[in-house]
Amino acid sequence: MGELWAGIREAVQLILSGDREVREIALRTVYVSGLATFLAMLTGIPAGYALARRRFPGRTLVLGAVNTGMGMPPVVVGLVVWLLLVRSGPLGGLELIYTREAMVLAQFLIATPLVIGFTAAAVQALPPELPELLQVLGAGPVRRLWLLAREARLGLLAAVMAGFGGVVSEVGASMAVGGNLQGETRVLTTAIVTETSRGNTERALALGLILLGLAFAVNLVLTRAQQRSG
Amino acid sequence: MEVRFAGVEVEKGGRRLLDLPELTVGRAAVTALLGPNGAGKTTALRLMAGLERPGRGQVLLDGEPAERAARRAVSYAFQRAVFLRGTVRENLELALRLRGVPAAERGRRIARAAEVCGVGHLLGRDALRLSGGEAQRANLARALALDAGLLLLDEPLSGLDGPSRSALLADLPAMLAATRATVVLVTHDRDEALLLARELVLLLDGRAAAQGLPGEVVRRPPTAAAAAFLGHTVLGQEAVLPGALTVGPGEREFAFAVERVVDLGTHLAAEGRVRGTPARAVIPPGAPPPAPGSEVTVSAPAAAVLRYRDDGRLAE
Repeated sequence: MGELWAGIREAVQLILSGDREVREIALRTVYVSGLATFLAMLTGIPAGYALARRRFPGRTLVLGAVNTGMGMPPVVVGLVVWLLLVRSGPLGGLELIYTREAMVLAQFLIATPLVIGFTAAAVQALPPELPELLQVLGAGPVRRLWLLAREARLGLLAAVMAGFGGVVSEVGASMAVGGNLQGETRVLTTAIVTETSRGNTERALALGLILLGLAFAVNLVLTRAQQRSG
Repeated sequence: MEVRFAGVEVEKGGRRLLDLPELTVGRAAVTALLGPNGAGKTTALRLMAGLERPGRGQVLLDGEPAERAARRAVSYAFQRAVFLRGTVRENLELALRLRGVPAAERGRRIARAAEVCGVGHLLGRDALRLSGGEAQRANLARALALDAGLLLLDEPLSGLDGPSRSALLADLPAMLAATRATVVLVTHDRDEALLLARELVLLLDGRAAAQGLPGEVVRRPPTAAAAAFLGHTVLGQEAVLPGALTVGPGEREFAFAVERVVDLGTHLAAEGRVRGTPARAVIPPGAPPPAPGSEVTVSAPAAAVLRYRDDGRLAE
């Protein structure tokens, strides 16, 4: 219990003191996980919509794969991306291994099935006649998509929250493809592992509390948007 | 508005859903497309709304292909009343905005459609929390507010409980009279078609089996299959008008095997078989009900019995 309070005290001190390294790690975390989530939204929301609305051979198989992907261990994703990007791998020539871009790629692959799955569920919950109703009323394809997204916004924001929550808290993939390089690819989760292994439990706990605070702040903004629109 | 199906064929999964070489509707203010489930009624409606294209042929709205004309000329009330989040007013407002109706005009149209459909008091209510009857009225109000040339109604009374259905059925003629649109409504209920429409198109297996004045089509169905769907008792090459069979002697007599006697509230009726075909005969007031298992004579006026040829078409 003493360590917990010490950790909380140190977290507050770290935040108030504006520790440069901690600030950089936190900003890097927001950048990597935020960009990965944004890219997952760009691809996952249209894919989830298509999966919910269209009927095609193998659809059940794809849905099953997406649902499996929603629970995929990040460390496995990290391993696959590492095998692809490592210098001897098929994409080694891109020289992306142990960079922030590699971390974004791995986190994008973790977040996308979550966004697709939640989007598909949100769209499937809409009345099936809604797209045709909007079509008959004269809405063009873009307007229809916008109105449908607005109608499914509770579920779509849940998709974004799930995606961001899934990647901001993962450590395995970031460690594998980012390498936890100080000043380069160290993010809050990998920093926590490092500090814990060094025996700096108060500092690790402090970073953990900052991570929690960050995740809470982002989700609070999204939840406010979700509830206001509901 | 005139709706013409020219050489229209629709197939899905190897099954022909619609086959209308030549059919024109819309000469009357209200046309009913009547038929059993799977007859192609909703498919025909969707073609008129431009939601589907025929595999062959064309659907023309006043000479223009439906897929082009529908967006401004058609208003469609789906079988299930579907709304977006928001109030009834917001839903009507959105529909009018999507049709490009100027803001100044929208309020007037909404007020009028709401009054005609009896939903003025519901305009401020959450559209997703309406009862079945309220939702269907709001659905009709949205369709009427668009003031389109062609108003399509897909089973407007289905899914409603008894009182809501009766109330809406009573109000629908006035609602439909309030619009300048040509109305095409789909129903599988003969009485709905008789009560609401001035023209009837009977669809059976995707084909137009009959077209004409509703009462005339019911009185003289052109084929035995149409007669059977319209409630006639078809006995081989003869068909007896619905409700025309009475227990006792008369102009045209048939042997009737009584299975049971039912009290229909307003009168008693005997249910049984004539030449093996299920039939029902009215028991005249005061007459003793026949015993189940007995064979009695039932009859119908000669004018109520139609004859069909071997090919199933009306003989005279």
